[in-house]
Amino acid sequence: MECHDLVKYLSDYIESDLDEELIGEAQAHLATCHDCRVVLDSTQQMIFLYREQGKRSIPAQRRQKLFNQLQNIFLEKDNSSQ
Amino acid sequence: MPDDAKLLDALRTRSPAAFQELFDLYSDRIFRLAVSLVADEMEAEEIVQEVFVRFFEKIDQFEGRSNIGTWLYRAAHNASIDILRTRKKAQTSVEIDAQEIELPMPANFSAWREVPDDAFDQNELKTQLNQAMNKMPKTLSSVFLMRDIEEYSTQQTAEILNISPGAVKVRLHRARLLLREYLAQYFSETV
Repeated sequence: MECHDLVKYLSDYIESDLDEELIGEAQAHLATCHDCRVVLDSTQQMIFLYREQGKRSIPAQRRQKLFNQLQNIFLEKDNSSQ
Repeated sequence: MPDDAKLLDALRTRSPAAFQELFDLYSDRIFRLAVSLVADEMEAEEIVQEVFVRFFEKIDQFEGRSNIGTWLYRAAHNASIDILRTRKKAQTSVEIDAQEIELPMPANFSAWREVPDDAFDQNELKTQLNQAMNKMPKTLSSVFLMRDIEEYSTQQTAEILNISPGAVKVRLHRARLLLREYLAQYFSETV
C-alpha cells in the first residue's frame, strides 16, 4: 500500500470497515510512513475534538426565550383544539 | 435515536413535561444542523422554531413508525436548504454534488499539539472549529455533523439527509480530509 491508497481508505480504516487484508496492508504502511501516521492521528484527534468541543448550542438567554415561545404555542394548540 | 412511543403519547396529551423533554432532546441538535448549513445563528434559531411549530401541528397525525428525531432533522435540513437556495451566492455550493469534489489530498504533515485546557484557548479552539465547518461545502458539513458529531449511523444519516448510504460515506471521507487540512495549520503551530 502507498500513501495515496492509505488516504483513499482512511475513513474506512478509522471505521474498521475494511477487509482483513487491507487492514494488514494499511498497518504495514503506517508502521513505516511518518506522514500517513500524522494524517491518521490528526484526523482521529480532529473527530474527537469536534465531538467534545464542537457541539454548538443555542445561546442560553435566547434558548430560554425560544423555550417559552414554543411552550406557549404548544399549550395554545391544546386550548384551540378543545 | 431514543424510543419515541411514550414521548409521542405524552405530547398528544399536551403534557408540559413532554414538551420539556422534546425541547431538551432536540432543540440544540436541530440548531446545530441548521447553523452548520446556514452559518447564521439567528436564522438557525428561526428554523428551530419553525420546525417545532410544524411538528406540533402534526403530532396527532404522526405515525408511530416514524421517528421524531428523523422527522425533525429532515424538516430542519429542508428548511435550511430552502434558505440557502434564496441566497444567490450559496446556491452554487448547495448544488455541487459532493462526489464531484476532488478528494482533498493531505499537504500538512506536522503532528498536532495537545489542546491547552484554559478557558481562553478553549474559546479560541471552538472558534477555529466553527470557522472550519463554515468553510466547507454544505453537502459535506451536514454529513460530518450527523456522523461524527451527533454520532448517527450511516443509514440514519442517509435517511435524514435523503441521500444514499454510499453518498454518506463518500461525503464523510471528503469532509474529514478537508477539515483536517483546514485545521492543520492551527494545530501544528507551536504554543
